[in-house]
Amino acid sequence: MTTDTPDEDGFTGQDMSHAVGADAATGGSATATADIAVRTEDVWKIYAQEPEDVEAVRGVSLEIREGDFMTMAGPSGSGKTTLLNLLGGLTRPTRGRIWVRDKEITNFSGKELARMRLESIGFVFQAFNLLPVLSALENAEFSLLLRGVPAEERHRRVQELFAEIGLDGLESRKPARLSGGQQQRVAVARAVVGEPTLVLADEPTANLDSHSSDDLLDVMERLNREHGTTFLFSTHDPRVVERARRRVSLVDGQIVSDERG
Amino acid sequence: MRRIQTLFRMAARGVLREARRSLLTASAMALGLALLMFTRSLADGGHEDWIDTGVRMGAGHVLFQAPGFRESQSLDDRLSEKQSGAAVAALAGLQGPMAPLATTLRLSTRGLASSASSALPVVIDAVNPETESSFSQTAARVVEGRYLEADDRLAAYVGVGLVERLGLSVGSRFVLTAQSTSGEIQGQLVRVVGIFRTGLPEVDEGSVNIPISTARSWLGAEGAVTTVGAILPYSRLVPEVVETLRSTVDDDDIRVLSWQEAYPELDAAVRLDDYGDYIFMGVLFAIVALAVLNTVLMAVLHRKREFGVLQALGLTPAETGMVVFVEGLLLTALAGVIGMIAGAALAWGFFRNGLDFSVFLSEEFTFGGIVIDPVIVPEFRFVQVLQSFVSIAVVGIAASIYPAYHATKIDVGEALKFE
Repeated sequence: MTTDTPDEDGFTGQDMSHAVGADAATGGSATATADIAVRTEDVWKIYAQEPEDVEAVRGVSLEIREGDFMTMAGPSGSGKTTLLNLLGGLTRPTRGRIWVRDKEITNFSGKELARMRLESIGFVFQAFNLLPVLSALENAEFSLLLRGVPAEERHRRVQELFAEIGLDGLESRKPARLSGGQQQRVAVARAVVGEPTLVLADEPTANLDSHSSDDLLDVMERLNREHGTTFLFSTHDPRVVERARRRVSLVDGQIVSDERG
Repeated sequence: MRRIQTLFRMAARGVLREARRSLLTASAMALGLALLMFTRSLADGGHEDWIDTGVRMGAGHVLFQAPGFRESQSLDDRLSEKQSGAAVAALAGLQGPMAPLATTLRLSTRGLASSASSALPVVIDAVNPETESSFSQTAARVVEGRYLEADDRLAAYVGVGLVERLGLSVGSRFVLTAQSTSGEIQGQLVRVVGIFRTGLPEVDEGSVNIPISTARSWLGAEGAVTTVGAILPYSRLVPEVVETLRSTVDDDDIRVLSWQEAYPELDAAVRLDDYGDYIFMGVLFAIVALAVLNTVLMAVLHRKREFGVLQALGLTPAETGMVVFVEGLLLTALAGVIGMIAGAALAWGFFRNGLDFSVFLSEEFTFGGIVIDPVIVPEFRFVQVLQSFVSIAVVGIAASIYPAYHATKIDVGEALKFE
């Protein structure tokens, strides 16, 4: 199994990752397939630290397909958040290559990465991370605003989305006046409103009670089902893992399993 | 354009969100600006007062003299009637704001004042009593008797120190001796009609005013003067007026002097005081800059996560820095408005009639060859407001640069870590 193209499940496997990396190093092609949202090839992230460098992500090769609803599970320190940051262009890999759709982002400048994040990636954070100075509607429409979408169009899209995910009537509220579940739904709205290639959700239910978590997962599942939004969750939460249709496990910065169904 | 508007809106809301912190920072800056405006207006007002006192003790903001007179103080270096007429005509030609408030014609020379008990070297200023009374500070400092009058012939107006040292009093007679235009030593008997006190020992002990008509016939200098001087509405007009007069009076035997050239000690005193003010302002600016730097930088450090989110959502690092920078600008603008109002209120509202420093200064405190008036009236000018505002704006902008730069350099992944 030394191929530089992913298998049917989009997973090249741990053993393959080195082979793919080796191939890439010798000039191997990295052709993108139409339904692949994000792809990595032998990606490493090493943090320089005393007395020893920390290898947070070690040779990960992974393909995420359009419409995936997948989790990335693993113990603390397994590299989930780092990998999420790499996929979202928030951190640059120490080595390896990353594509979003058919564009390689590995060597993008800060400005290019910012543009890529704006157009292709939605983020949902554990701590919600809504902008406190903006209302729920303004938070949700922020990426559209940065893209230059006219106000009328922005408001229409956000209001439709709010109606769909149960945030009707909360448009003008500031984050401080929303419950945790409501804040996280606003964060989901913010992540999906621009119809990104991939939504990266880092422990999205970790700060929510079980009822709010279930509600949130319902919302995201529906968005995935009805709009084809691609989700990748980093999580410890078994409820999230249960609902996923694809489950990747990460241990010590390496993918150890990738299951569908 | 819409992105820029969004960044400005984010920055404005950032300022408003931390209203208390913003208000405190703006207050620190505003206080700095208000103090700056107040001290500037006070310094300018004080300096204008010093200069006015100095030039009225002397011969005006601008002077016409023969080349060499300033050094020789001799009648050999005098202006003829034709030359002084040209000077007077040039002064009369000044129109509008440059028009002189008062002019003087003087015939001055060094001489000796002798009484029965003693003799002392003096500067003899022969003046026109009618015009001099509105010109000279000395004329207003009478402590006994009166100032010279138009029909006085052998009258003398002398300093209190000279009176004491020569054992004179109002009505006493004494002899003035000086070299005439023909080179001979000539004496003139005069009578004390008035005594003045300026507070400057060298003036009070060494200055005598007599009518110019008396001096001209005594010294054989009919029609001649040694100085034609003018008082202007403001000292800041001097460079322009001097330039105008120099171009008007095209005569190599007439020098047009500014007060700075005529009274270098006074000029040095004003400059010295200005340097002190600049140091004070520098310290003030540094304090204000540090206050702004501290606030804006702390805001950046406390809001690392927020800036991380902004970048995750698609803002470039430069745009994130711009949000911080604009916050600094808005704080500066807010402080500028408050500070200008406070500074104007302080300088104009409370002290337009003058600030009395007599607790700290004695009535005869001298500096730079003049007696300092302990009551300083602030001088309030638009250009001064503008300069102060620009200064504080520069400080605010400079102090926002580093925090803005810092915001562009945050590690987004690190900033978004859940803690």
